Amino acid sequence: AQDKFTLKLAETWGPNFPIFGDTTKRFAETVEKMSDGRLTIRIDSANKHKAPLGVFDMVKAGQYDMGHSASYYWKGKVPETLFFTSMPFGMNAMEQYAWFYHGGGMELMQEVYEPHNMLSFPGGNTGVQMGGWFRKEIKSLEDLQGLKMRIPGFAGEVFAEVGVNPTNIAPGELYTALERNTIDAVEWVGPALDLRLGFQQIADYYYTGWHEPATELQFLVNKRVWERLPADLQEIMRVAMRTASYDMLVHSQHENAKAWANIKQDYPNVQIKQFPEDIFQAMYDANKKLLTEAAEDSAIAKKIIDSQLSYQEQSRAYTDISERAYLNTMAEVE
Amino acid sequence: MIGMIMFGVALVMLMLGFPVAFTFGGVALFFGIFAEGMDLFAFMPYRIMSVMQNTVLMAVPLFIFMGVVLQRTRLAEQLLTSMGRLFGGLPGGLAISTILVGALLAASTGVVGASVVAMGLISLPVMLAHNYDKRLATGTICASGTLGQIVPPSIILIILGDVLGLPVGDLFKAAVMPGIVLIGLYIIYILVITRLKPQTAPAMPPDDSISRGKEIRDALLAIIPPLALIVVVLGSIFTGIATPTESSALGGVGAVVLAIIYRQFSFKMVWDAARDTVSVTAMVFAILIGATAFSMVFSYTGGDYLLEEWLLMLPGEQWGFIILAMLVILVLGFFIDFVEISFIIVPILAPVAEALGINMLWFAILVAMNLQTSFLTPPFGFALFYLKGVAPPNVKTTDIYKGILPFILLQILVLAMIIIFPEWFGMSATY
Amino acid sequence: MRWIIKLDEGLAWVSKVCGWVACIAMILMAANVFYDVLTRYVFNDVSIAMQEMEWHLYSVVFLLGIPYALRTDSHVRVDVFYTNWSQKRKAWVNLIGALIFVVPFAYLIGFYGYSFAQDAYQMGEGSGDPGGLPHRWIIKAVIPFSAVFMATAGLNMATYALRVMAGDKEYEGEHSAGGLA
Ligand code: NA
Ligand code: NA
Repeated sequence: AQDKFTLKLAETWGPNFPIFGDTTKRFAETVEKMSDGRLTIRIDSANKHKAPLGVFDMVKAGQYDMGHSASYYWKGKVPETLFFTSMPFGMNAMEQYAWFYHGGGMELMQEVYEPHNMLSFPGGNTGVQMGGWFRKEIKSLEDLQGLKMRIPGFAGEVFAEVGVNPTNIAPGELYTALERNTIDAVEWVGPALDLRLGFQQIADYYYTGWHEPATELQFLVNKRVWERLPADLQEIMRVAMRTASYDMLVHSQHENAKAWANIKQDYPNVQIKQFPEDIFQAMYDANKKLLTEAAEDSAIAKKIIDSQLSYQEQSRAYTDISERAYLNTMAEVE
Repeated sequence: MIGMIMFGVALVMLMLGFPVAFTFGGVALFFGIFAEGMDLFAFMPYRIMSVMQNTVLMAVPLFIFMGVVLQRTRLAEQLLTSMGRLFGGLPGGLAISTILVGALLAASTGVVGASVVAMGLISLPVMLAHNYDKRLATGTICASGTLGQIVPPSIILIILGDVLGLPVGDLFKAAVMPGIVLIGLYIIYILVITRLKPQTAPAMPPDDSISRGKEIRDALLAIIPPLALIVVVLGSIFTGIATPTESSALGGVGAVVLAIIYRQFSFKMVWDAARDTVSVTAMVFAILIGATAFSMVFSYTGGDYLLEEWLLMLPGEQWGFIILAMLVILVLGFFIDFVEISFIIVPILAPVAEALGINMLWFAILVAMNLQTSFLTPPFGFALFYLKGVAPPNVKTTDIYKGILPFILLQILVLAMIIIFPEWFGMSATY
Repeated sequence: MRWIIKLDEGLAWVSKVCGWVACIAMILMAANVFYDVLTRYVFNDVSIAMQEMEWHLYSVVFLLGIPYALRTDSHVRVDVFYTNWSQKRKAWVNLIGALIFVVPFAYLIGFYGYSFAQDAYQMGEGSGDPGGLPHRWIIKAVIPFSAVFMATAGLNMATYALRVMAGDKEYEGEHSAGGLA
């Protein structure tokens, strides 16, 4: 008889967290079926391990065999991990997947994770994330000055560059804080997940996204554990992770479209807005400046940024004459 | 099964009187090492870190500080006795005042440790000084200190909103009526029990030297400063100046300002208040850390899977399901804390409820009401431990256990009312 | 016996210093939160570093407060039987409990807490949020630190129990934080 394996997976999300949590469940199911029960994945959610942002450390130390999270959460530990989730004004999901699988992205990602005794794989994409809920309309750069917004991470730094005050609010108090104007705006994910927090009841302006055009989650695997697996099980894992990621992208599209239809119907107060051009330009410049600084700080960061920018340029030129051209055509005839 | 045995052992060990926090931690340690090995405890720093980064819990030391300063400057006593005097010859006036102050605190925070301890500091000494029955006094404080769970804004409703995918605003609105009814019933209970047994909550003796009119005027004047403080705390939340957590700091600083105004301020007073706050805060958080070790061992030894199996055997018919689900949550609430229940148990029950066509908003309110009770149910009700931690030595654990019983029954009564007559509370059982 | 008294008093001093640090952190935290609310509301200014400082201070309050509260016997007990027991019996409960519950529990937290903090140090971990605090290892190191003091406070509980058994000291009724209210 062949050896049986069980891998313990820690995910950053709570149990039954929609879309994200479905991804790990689907992955576990696929693995189990494809391996005919030789490989089992046991999923522990945040309520069990209590360390949503400890997934990196726990997989590194081998307390868990693998994890499901997002690479940019580790920015405070390893700055270069930032680039493998999504970048402001960066690639969209299709372009970014092409970069990962065919444009050298996977190799760069392993280079960053290798020293930490881990392998990282794409773990599902949310598509373009919405730009956030605002209680007041943003008409000019002026309106952004001193605006208090819950916006974490790198996008928060970009916003800070153009005058926004990024603010920390415990997730449990976000709703109350927005409702009572303690903060002016909140960035979350997209319609399907935002709807659950009820922001549509208290904020009228829902801005389109620019800061996370293709948020990619990640599977982390402890390297020693990976090397212990026989080659066929490794391959099964690879295929299952890739399928689960693809599935999450389309699942996100499906759920967001459904949720958006609900918001449109039940909350006519909600208006979709886009930042005016001068704001986009300012943020675009700020983003560029921050990227230049990051590239100066670390050689590997420079390598990743260069790879992403040049790949995006090439890929976008084609997107322009294919996807964009098609959507433009549609916009004209409808 | 290990998890279940561990509960039994912990219960016996608690009776030996060793500090609760370390009894939880120590028992967890033995079972954990025995079942999973030492390395299980490598998770402990992560769990402690998650308490450290839970900024909502910051309200605990800050509200305790406010309570201690109000108590040390005797301003709290003034508030309660004046309110008690306003009720004139009415027995139970102090208890009713306590419930009202508790309701105000509840509307400002949903953190039980903070409000139970603050209420314990503020009103227990006053009630005992006026010869209140220890059981009635402690029961009233635990019950009103726990109101924050159902009266919005409430952490538990936010967590349930997330787990069940319901808009938080709807949940907050739906919880208002049940909260008001509960507060009303507490007050009615005090009125009834003091009519039956006047000696449990004697009326405050009238001051014969002054007229009733002057008495009322003096009382109103005395209420103003501490009440102003509460208004500042609540007002800062409602106007959005501060988050509920931050409002607790305004309360603490405000209490110090009051002390200055009333010439009660000294650096020694502030330092002593900080020292008391540190002691009491440490007591609360040691319990949280001990309990997190305990629930860690429980779930990593398969306790959560076992629970899941049992829950899936619940009946698939609406009334049977609701009643049994409520019983399960009530019983589990004796042993594990509400966050665990919300995250482990509720997601298992939710799809069943949904399949039965049950209105999820109604279901969520039932769960929240039920979980509030879990703080009060002996032997593991945390509210009881917290109050015991700040009560004078002559108040025994058993006094608190007995004192809380009528209030638990009242909560179950309200729960039953919401189940049977959802329309009284502006809800419906099904869609 | 003399060296036990010396040891007992030395350990007690360590816990008191913890309490002293926690008190300062407590006052600073209240001021910190108040200041943050004030600057946000009045000057519309937010500093993530100051916001993070809030939970750093709050962590120090309870992590260093726990050993202090052990020394002052402020941790809540279920007193159904305990209060009616003799001094000797209480001393036995505390001696055994301290040695089999407090000290091993503190040891495990300290042992694993050390590598937890060390990891953060080696990676140079800092906040991931804009303008957040660097050197996350410092606050993570408070966990093993607190565990060390929890262990010394546990030993202190044991030495005190020995003194009670020898008739040199007494448990004062129950001077929990109860003395407060
Ligand atoms: Na987001
Ligand atoms: Na509340």
